[in-house]
Amino acid sequence: ASRADDDWQEAHERLAELEDKAVAKGDGGGEEQDLLGDPEDALAERLTRLVIDSELEDPAIMRAVQTRGPVQHPGGLNSSIWDSSAVLQRIRGPLLAQEMPSVSVLDYALPQRPPQPREEERDPSERALPRRSSSPVIGSPPVRAVPIGTPPKQPAGPNFTQQILCPKPVHIRAPMQQRYPAPYGDRMSPNQLCNVPNSSLLGHPFPPSVSPVLTHLQRAQLLGGAQAGRMSPSQFARVSGLVGSPLPSVNPKLLQGRVRQMMPPASGFRAFFGAPPAPPPPPSQPQHPPGPGPHLQSLRPQPQIFRPDTTHLHPQHRRLLHQRQQQNRNQHRSLNGSVGDRGGHRSSHQEQMRKDPYANLMLQREKDWVSKIQMMQLQSTDPYLDDYYYQNYFQKLEKLSAAEEVQGDGPKKERTKLITPQVAKLEHTYKPVQFEGSLGKLTVSSVNNPRKMIDAVVTSRGEDDETKEKQVRDKRRQTLVTIEKTYSLLLDVEDYERRYLLSLEGERPALMGDRKQKICEMYDNLRGKVPGHERPSDDHFMQIMCIRKGKRLVARILPFLSPEQAADVLLATARNLPFLIKKDAQDEVLPCLLRPFSHVLYHLPLGTVTTLVQQLTNLPQSGAANPHLAAVLQNKFGLSLLFLVLSRGEELQSSEANTELIQDNPWTELMLLATRELLRIPQAALAKPVSTPSNLLSLFSRYVDQQKLNLLETKL
Amino acid sequence: MNYMPGTASLIQDIDKKHLVLLRDGRTLIGFLRSIDQFANLVLHQTVERIHVGKKYGDIPRGIFVVRGENVVLLGEIDLEKESDTPLQQVSIEEILEEQRVELQAKQESEKLKVQALKERGLSVPRADTLDEY
Repeated sequence: ASRADDDWQEAHERLAELEDKAVAKGDGGGEEQDLLGDPEDALAERLTRLVIDSELEDPAIMRAVQTRGPVQHPGGLNSSIWDSSAVLQRIRGPLLAQEMPSVSVLDYALPQRPPQPREEERDPSERALPRRSSSPVIGSPPVRAVPIGTPPKQPAGPNFTQQILCPKPVHIRAPMQQRYPAPYGDRMSPNQLCNVPNSSLLGHPFPPSVSPVLTHLQRAQLLGGAQAGRMSPSQFARVSGLVGSPLPSVNPKLLQGRVRQMMPPASGFRAFFGAPPAPPPPPSQPQHPPGPGPHLQSLRPQPQIFRPDTTHLHPQHRRLLHQRQQQNRNQHRSLNGSVGDRGGHRSSHQEQMRKDPYANLMLQREKDWVSKIQMMQLQSTDPYLDDYYYQNYFQKLEKLSAAEEVQGDGPKKERTKLITPQVAKLEHTYKPVQFEGSLGKLTVSSVNNPRKMIDAVVTSRGEDDETKEKQVRDKRRQTLVTIEKTYSLLLDVEDYERRYLLSLEGERPALMGDRKQKICEMYDNLRGKVPGHERPSDDHFMQIMCIRKGKRLVARILPFLSPEQAADVLLATARNLPFLIKKDAQDEVLPCLLRPFSHVLYHLPLGTVTTLVQQLTNLPQSGAANPHLAAVLQNKFGLSLLFLVLSRGEELQSSEANTELIQDNPWTELMLLATRELLRIPQAALAKPVSTPSNLLSLFSRYVDQQKLNLLETKL
Repeated sequence: MNYMPGTASLIQDIDKKHLVLLRDGRTLIGFLRSIDQFANLVLHQTVERIHVGKKYGDIPRGIFVVRGENVVLLGEIDLEKESDTPLQQVSIEEILEEQRVELQAKQESEKLKVQALKERGLSVPRADTLDEY
């Protein structure tokens, strides 16, 4: 058996040499491997010693004893660490070392008895069942401080003789085959040992005396039989199924006077029961015969498939195995004690999960602790401030589901929402710590009361020292700061609507006033505060507009500004558009301004629009070349804006009832000029606008003749 | 028990096989056994997987305790789909060799690039000296 181990070890050593760092050879795994070989042999010996002839009246059992093959290592142990058998190898040792099963259930139920430490390891079949709260009859299992892997403290022998009849209706756990994980290819969590599968016994229709009991012999037989190869739990079920057949020969004594198997006590791994998953259907055992019939009745062969390899199993055992098998398949189980993946897994995945012997190293209590800390971190006095994106996202989701519901889809499934604790805002005044009995006030430096560590003195250099570059950089930095401040104001203003809804009636006017004031501030920031009522310089505004974020800021502010203010902004933009276009070449953020601009346009009177066009096109102008207009037309944003403005003008014009205006309207003049310019510019130079308003053609048709109109049409 | 729905909590991920990407570029694959509030991880049966091109190699590492701040990302591995990969597994020696070769090639090309830039009088800007907003 150790041959495979050696190979593994060698392989590992080779790998370790590959790396430069020293690797602990074998991680003790090799040693473990060696250890494992021995307990199995010891087990076999012990078991044979324990066989008592008088009990071997079951021909099936007799047969099984003879056919028990030599102990083999389960299947191909390859060196892959993902292989379950490799892991099993490591845990089998301690498990099988304590082979003696015979502690009565009363031991467990009565507190006087010292707990048997071996029991915990010896019941891997426990692992197969979901973790449940303890049976009400039995009471809470004692907490075991001895973890898995601890060698047994007491010899196996004497316990066997403890045959205690169980007069009380105490439910006894069925000692299932799965208690031996290794032979059956099961990987079960150490914790699951402690999982009393009370479900199988709650409402167990059998009187306790009929509880399934597995003798040492039977277990040995199973062990032996299974050594030949790994058996999956499904094989188990088959194994158990067959026990039903040799029914008549079962000695009732076998059942009654049997050494009871102790209910697997809680081991150290199970510090406490986690909240059981929403109660799984109580004993969902379809195989159970109805009513508590006599034990013989219970041994009636189940309508199961014929299982050839379970002949040596006790009929009771077989049935319960099968039931347990079914249960495992039917019930949701989660190794973590959480029900998060209920119903989402296929049974094969569940079985795989079940086989993990290292599962639940993290206790439920520890998980709760971590989750508590995480919840504490979510406490917030103002969730909208602290957790903006989360709140918005869930609001959107809710709106979506509400909308869907309105459509008549029916109540959608509830999305579990995390309810974060709302903490009231408390004003904490910091009081520096004071020591009693000290003379004077000792200052203790803390996060609330930091002490100055470095004497850093800020010296600003004189103006003449600074280079031009530095000045530019400083100015840019100042602009950046202005943008940030204005952004904070903007976010506040945008939030007012929500606050308005949440606030009380009396507070609302104050809120509105606040809001207005903030808007004014924003505008001032944008345009630059000038002492006089004139705003001669666009410089400040241009600085902001040169920065990517500044443009976006302007786009977001525009809806909040008054029409005059907005028009002002528009005009300033139009005036300096070529400059802006040049600066925007890399960022290409200008188009984001189109939408707010168009909104503003809708509210502008004709006069303003005219001025706007003037600014945009820089007309009238003397001289043939109009670089301003050219630049505007060659830029996507510029052209789109121009079109928008023109279209708005056209709208206004066409809606204007008064025909007098058409005569000496500056608009008309402008349009004449504009169309002339448009005609002149080669088509290739024209940019592609975001959208071409439909009334442009009608606009132009007023001012030009048909031929030119066609030309314009093609250009556009 | 649905732990903290709507949040990113690792509690539901315990005892499942995960792939963890570390800040130093290593890829670890292991069963997540324990966590704490800093997302420090305990990985069991960990394997360090080195990828070069279409090949990869696994180095078994045992138990890893990873400090949370060094994790870039981590994700659960679907055990059924795990073997469903176009990548080819090779031995450790081979993958380490491939890695070395790849690193060398990268260094060579980097050297050439810097050389070429220098010849033209340009320089690759370092990230910390960029002043652009």
